Amino acid sequence: MSNPSGVTITDECIAAYNQLRSGRGTPKQKFIIYKVSDDTTTIVLEESSPETDYEVFLQKLSSAVDKDGKPAPRYAVYDVEYDLGSEGKRTKTIFIHWGPSHAPIKLCMLYACSKEQLRKALDVNVSIHADSLNELEWKVVLKEASGGKA
Amino acid sequence: MNPSNPPQAAEYGGDEVSAIVLDPGYATTRAGFAGEDAPKSLIPTYYGKYNADGQEKLIYGDDIFVTPRPGLSIHNPINKDGIVEDWDMAEKVWEHSFTSRLTGTKPGNPFQNGLNDIPSEELPTEMEVESDEKPLSDSPLLMTEPGWNPTKAREKTIEIAMEKWDTPAFYLARTGVLAAFASGKASALVVDIGASNISITPIHDGMILKRGVQHSPLGGDYISSQINALFKSNSPQPITITPHYLISAKAAVEAGQTPQAKYKTFPADKAPDASYRALLEERTLGEFKECVVQVWPGPTRLSALGPTGVSNEDMARTSPGRPFEFPDGYNQVFGVERFRVVESLFDAKAAIPDPESSFAPPTPAQTIPELVKASLAGVDVDIRPHLLANVVVTGGSSLLYGFTDRLNHELMQMFPGPRVRVTAPGNTSERRFGSWIGGSILASLGTFHQMWISKKEYEEHGPNIVEKRCK
Repeated sequence: MSNPSGVTITDECIAAYNQLRSGRGTPKQKFIIYKVSDDTTTIVLEESSPETDYEVFLQKLSSAVDKDGKPAPRYAVYDVEYDLGSEGKRTKTIFIHWGPSHAPIKLCMLYACSKEQLRKALDVNVSIHADSLNELEWKVVLKEASGGKA
Repeated sequence: MNPSNPPQAAEYGGDEVSAIVLDPGYATTRAGFAGEDAPKSLIPTYYGKYNADGQEKLIYGDDIFVTPRPGLSIHNPINKDGIVEDWDMAEKVWEHSFTSRLTGTKPGNPFQNGLNDIPSEELPTEMEVESDEKPLSDSPLLMTEPGWNPTKAREKTIEIAMEKWDTPAFYLARTGVLAAFASGKASALVVDIGASNISITPIHDGMILKRGVQHSPLGGDYISSQINALFKSNSPQPITITPHYLISAKAAVEAGQTPQAKYKTFPADKAPDASYRALLEERTLGEFKECVVQVWPGPTRLSALGPTGVSNEDMARTSPGRPFEFPDGYNQVFGVERFRVVESLFDAKAAIPDPESSFAPPTPAQTIPELVKASLAGVDVDIRPHLLANVVVTGGSSLLYGFTDRLNHELMQMFPGPRVRVTAPGNTSERRFGSWIGGSILASLGTFHQMWISKKEYEEHGPNIVEKRCK
């Protein structure tokens, strides 16, 4: 039952993620936003961006809408950098499942039951489900990414 | 063909199939077309049995409430645990749920419907009569099941769907997972308050965590038994519920006064069975739950002292009561009692004792807070905070006034560290039909066709395929 929706993932999604992980490409990519295509059959790349301002990322994520202009869910991966002082700087990539509470129920469901497929394909271990922006506050995300260390 | 591989996409026409979603519960059975917002067919899972002209007759659906036939008795094919006990009857009740409203009865055999009758002297030579068409030959079927449904029952379910109903494709999904998906979550702790059971189902990444599934019988029917216990000890006088079918006329009386009603009586050989009366009493109790019963909102238990030093019971007394009129015209305003009847869902000691009740007094382990605790104890430590942040409330009895507020307080007190968030659809039908709606959306997703178990696969691998494919 982990993937009852049977959507497929485009190669582009994986390629963008690998680029983010490897740190190649100039400038370095900071986050990627994925969406399910309007015909609900595939997960496609919406945006890959080097923007380092976290607020800009949140703004982009929360302003996502479906084809009727209603708030829509999204998936994202974000490269969280944190400093452990003496242990040095670390980077952790986290998976975000954004499901705003006012999104149409069918879309919510589609994203909920396809999420695991994308997360597995990308092989990201830390994942956050958020339905409001306060669940994505920087300190929450930082805590989640660092396992409570930072 | 390897049973773990889904069938090729071309086998089913994707969106073109009008799948049927069947969500069988203990009190009601919900059925409807995938993609719709609510089930078109909602029937009681109870059925009626009586004798007429020396033959046993069965009645289904809302008809069971209507006529108090002589000797009519009411039965339920599902046991108190939510597992099917009487498969023959479960099949018939479920079949009624979709044939009565969705698929319609199939056209009769053209040789027997009277349209092709020919004068008797010209009898044609014997002709092969094709066997009757089965009810679901054209529609894929998605069914739901509780998280603790045993393997035997799952296999039996697919057997009925494939062999008796002839469905071309089948899928069996768990109610908890569907309710979580319907609220947009792949990980959640689903609190389902049904008629015969309350259950806690932890779901992580769309998979049910079996070791954490907990259930207990403190559901809607238990609350009814508590209300009955309250009525027996009621002052100024004990209340007995007289269902509408036993009343021919009633007059308005003041609150708390003896009812002025004319009763109908049935001679012993014409009277319906006691189970019929119980079913109709339950209807009145249902109304009582909807209009009167209220869950003490917390943060502390009803028996505890409130923050100002005044006991919560006294606080509850100061809030205005709620009036209720019974079918015989008796009416009364219910004050603090309306909180007491549900308090034992959270606090076993608060149960109203009733030695005649069919429910044993609840144990602390059966209450909702303890079930949640036990459920979380059965899952990995790392995912507990995720589950607590995504508590999903579903099931008809969760619509009790004030239920989600109290649940929220109880969980916050029990787990002060992690963030607790209780989500419950505000919309009544989304709450009552949470798992049906989940199934409806799932089966209508264009890409779901890969998940169906086809008839061919069933024939090749037998009923055990359901264990491999519907995990």
